[in-house]
Formats: sequence, C-alpha cells, structure tokens
Amino acid sequence: MMIAASAATGALAQAPTEPAEPVNAAPSAQDWAALGALPDWSGVWSPGPLDRFPAGSTSAPPWKAEQAAQIAALKQREDAGDPQNIYVNCLPEGLPSSVTQTLNAVEFLFTPGRVTILGEFDGNRLRRIWTDGRPHPADPDPNFSGHSIGHWDKGALVVDTIGFLPQVFIPMGQGVGLPNNGDMHVEERIVLTGPDTLQVDIVVHAPKVLTGPWKASRTFTRHRERKYDLVESSCRQGDFFDDVDAHGNAVYTPIPKDAGGAPVPPDQAQMPSR
Amino acid sequence: MTLNAEPPKMTHHRRQIAAALLMLAAPLGPLAAHHSFAMFDPTKPMTFEATVKSLQWTAPHAILWVQAGPVGKYQAGLWSLELPTSPGNLSKMGWSRTVLKPGDKVVVDINPIRDGRRAGQFKKARIVATGKVLGIGAIPGTQPPK
Repeated sequence: MMIAASAATGALAQAPTEPAEPVNAAPSAQDWAALGALPDWSGVWSPGPLDRFPAGSTSAPPWKAEQAAQIAALKQREDAGDPQNIYVNCLPEGLPSSVTQTLNAVEFLFTPGRVTILGEFDGNRLRRIWTDGRPHPADPDPNFSGHSIGHWDKGALVVDTIGFLPQVFIPMGQGVGLPNNGDMHVEERIVLTGPDTLQVDIVVHAPKVLTGPWKASRTFTRHRERKYDLVESSCRQGDFFDDVDAHGNAVYTPIPKDAGGAPVPPDQAQMPSR
Repeated sequence: MTLNAEPPKMTHHRRQIAAALLMLAAPLGPLAAHHSFAMFDPTKPMTFEATVKSLQWTAPHAILWVQAGPVGKYQAGLWSLELPTSPGNLSKMGWSRTVLKPGDKVVVDINPIRDGRRAGQFKKARIVATGKVLGIGAIPGTQPPK
C-alpha cells in the first residue's frame, strides 16, 4: 500500500523487482495419486529397545575432550544416584533425541510435497519434512527439530536437517548428554527393512562438541491394533495435581519435584534435613 | 494443599486385564521416559500396604499416589510412586486410568527415593481385594525381530 502510493507520486523512481512470493501450490489429482506409489508407512511405530550409547564404545558420540570430561562427570553422578536430567523442563527433545532416545511411538503422514511425523511426546511431537524440492532457508529460525528437507531414494526417505537451537541435546541417556552448542546438521535415511520394521540411520554433525560425525541407528516396529493409536501426551501435565479451588473449580496445582524430576509428597516439598 | 480424592465420574468398567498385567516386574530402567530414575535406590526395595489416593493418568509418567501408615523409618503419610512411562505406553501394557481406584487397598513394591522422602519408583501393586497384580512390562512389539 505504501509502495503503491509512493510509486504513484513518483517518489520511487523504479520499484525493484521482487522475487515472487513462494507459495505452496494446490496439489493436483496426480499429486495425490502419486502418494500411492510410496512405501506403506501407515500404522503406529514404536521405538526399539533403547541403546545406551555407553561412553567409550564405538556407538557413543565422539565427544571433544572438554565435552568428554563433562560427560564422564554426568555419568558419575548418574551412577551415584544423583542424575542431572536433561529433559526435566518438558521442552521438546528435538533431534537426534526423537530418534535415538525416545520411548514413545510415532506415525508418518504423507501428503503431496511433505512427510509429517507426529508423536506421543513433547506435548505431541510434530516434524515437517518438505519433499517438494525446496531448499533450506538461508537463515532459518532455530528450533528444536530444525528445518527438514527430504527426497525419496529407492524407497528410502533421505532427510537433511539444519536450523537447530544450540540448546538441543545430544543424548547418551536420560541423564547424560550435552547441548550441541550450535551449527548442528543431521542426516537421516529412513527405510522399511521388513513388513513391520523401519530403520532410521542418523548421522549427527555437531562441530562445536564432536570431533566427527556420530552415526546411530534405531529400529521402529509397526502396530496396527487400535490400542496403539497415538494419544495426546502433554509433557507438562505430569507437573500438576488435578485439584479443586475454593470456588469448586477444577484447577491444576503444581506437584513438588526433587532435583532430578521425581514427584514428592506436598508435605515434604522441602528436602528433609538428614 | 489437598489432592482431589473424588472418584472418577465414570462407570467403572472392569476391563479384561489380561496376562499383560500379570507380567513380572521387569527391570524398569529402559522404560524410564523423560527423566532418569537413578534417584531411586534399587538396592533397598520396599513392600508395604497402602490405600490408593489416586492413579494420576498423565504424561510423561503416570503417578500412583497412596496413603500409608508408618513404614519402617517413614512416618505415616502420602507417597508418590512414579510409574516408568506415560498413559500411551501403559495402555499398551493393559493398564487403564481406572485399573486402580481411590480407596483400593494395595500392597506395593517400590524402590524408594534416596533422599528419604515418601517417594519411590513403582514396581508393582497387588490389589488386596482381588489378588490382581499390576506390573510393568516391555511395550509389546518393541523388540525388533532378530
């Protein structure tokens, strides 16, 4: 409006030619039909047994020396019964945790130009993987799951993700892990390995904290029984009692927790002197 | 602060609690979503009788709140017994939000929190009136085929 008005008065000699605003084109019938040629990833997928990525093993992230010392200290506290939990604030886990660490099921939705991953964590996990050929933005707003673009390669979905918050953890367990500290880049290859098994191979590049790429894999198992249907799963809900206020309204009252995130009785909210 | 001890306003439908609920209490560590359970001491397991205050059916971990009389060095009071996972996963093991009801007498097996408060890691519960045992198992199907 302002530009149009200015141009009309000649204040702007020549309006610069702006690139066309990118739009998501309406899918055609052919676009919808093409989804039928993709592998069948329907159903609910539960993650396989948790790998612990024990320190020093070939499966552990190759931490730089400074990070390795911090990891050793965290592991020591965990072993001593004083875990320094990395997920206590209920913020989204993000990548790579949603592949390597999660214990909660996911489902995959295919629509033209995109794969959507929904899951039972983070107050309902959501990832969008753009398969419409777009590039990453030059300067994406950082977030927990990053900006993901993907393409299909012989039945495998190949995903490239950047744009992570520096606080997003690279985990070795629930209580042992460190933030990526910036510039993390994650590659994934997701493929059916059997009628009801799906493997995610993940490569984490985190140059601020790792000496080289960390490669890990996780197998997910498909379920079609309705008892596996995903349910709402708000991570913050467990921080509160169902309670009733003086007016009889249904309200939430905070549950006191110990330093590691375990609930404790309200009358013992303060640590007893020992 | 009081817990809402109102029983759920729903018809108590006795689901068939299949053999899934009779599973032995498996090692719980691998199921612990959201936070480490290392604050609980597996070397000092406890068993005691208590009365269910509520089964808090919430993510990321369900919590069984029980009222107990004096137990060893612990004074009588309310205990928080944290289950290792969320309603989404527990329902796949045969649990439901009505499987334990306020007022139910139970015998619970727990690993107590190390700091001495009345808190613990839930391992299993036996409902005194029925003898039914509620345990925690692996999520069916999560073991990939070899």
